[in-house]
Amino acid sequence: MAAPLISTAVVGHEFGPYDVTIPASRAEAYATAVGGDESPDYGESLAPIMVVAAALTELIEDLGLFSGGLQTVHAGQEVSWVRPVNIGEKVDAIGKLAANSVRRGNHFATVSVSYKDSSGSEIGTSSTTIIVSGEAS
Amino acid sequence: MSTNRAVGDILVGFERQITQARVDAYAEASGDHNPIHLDESYAATTQFGTRIAHGMLSLALVTEMLATEFPETWHDGGKLKVRFSAPVFPGETVATYGEITSIDESDEGLLATCTIGCKKPDGTDAVAGRATVPLE
Repeated sequence: MAAPLISTAVVGHEFGPYDVTIPASRAEAYATAVGGDESPDYGESLAPIMVVAAALTELIEDLGLFSGGLQTVHAGQEVSWVRPVNIGEKVDAIGKLAANSVRRGNHFATVSVSYKDSSGSEIGTSSTTIIVSGEAS
Repeated sequence: MSTNRAVGDILVGFERQITQARVDAYAEASGDHNPIHLDESYAATTQFGTRIAHGMLSLALVTEMLATEFPETWHDGGKLKVRFSAPVFPGETVATYGEITSIDESDEGLLATCTIGCKKPDGTDAVAGRATVPLE
């Protein structure tokens, strides 16, 4: 079985672009998961963290971290956003491996992501740090 | 109004029980169906010994607090940086918190820096870090 990408990717490796457009059904699921009586009314817009989460799922899959035997810890997260995003609005995410090192058998990786709207304008960025242990099976 | 903010202001946090139903819904929302969040028999073999909530679910609660506190500006120039310090287990009730620690002039106007986080029932942080939010 091929080694997961986390084991072979070098800094600068690019991921995506991923279409992280969030349809209404997923926005509703997000409200069910997160919401409560005091939740703000987003109207037609989304919590940007949801777009970040959608991109993170794609990254984890591409890095091969759903392989049996690997255990991934989400260690850190940075997010910045410059404008609201609407439900159903086309957003593309492009990731880049910013760091990938091995210490005591654990991978420490950081992936930076840029989010762009349909005009190509950057509407947000994120940076995710993960720690991966175990052997792929 | 955001422009009436001052250093030392406490952000209004809230408590939320992280049920497995919320975790399941978050998996649908994010597309992250990792069995460590959903499959108890698989999760029993991991270092945690049971299912854990997505870290991003706890962070989402923190951003709900920020969106409520800064409805005009959080999604329009807000930034955050956090560490995930401890897992949240389904059934636990977590509490978000925050405080404005500085307000500074910038090229974009006034920016508030806040400590932010989400605590587990034993008082330890599940998520902790800082956010920067435009005030105007």
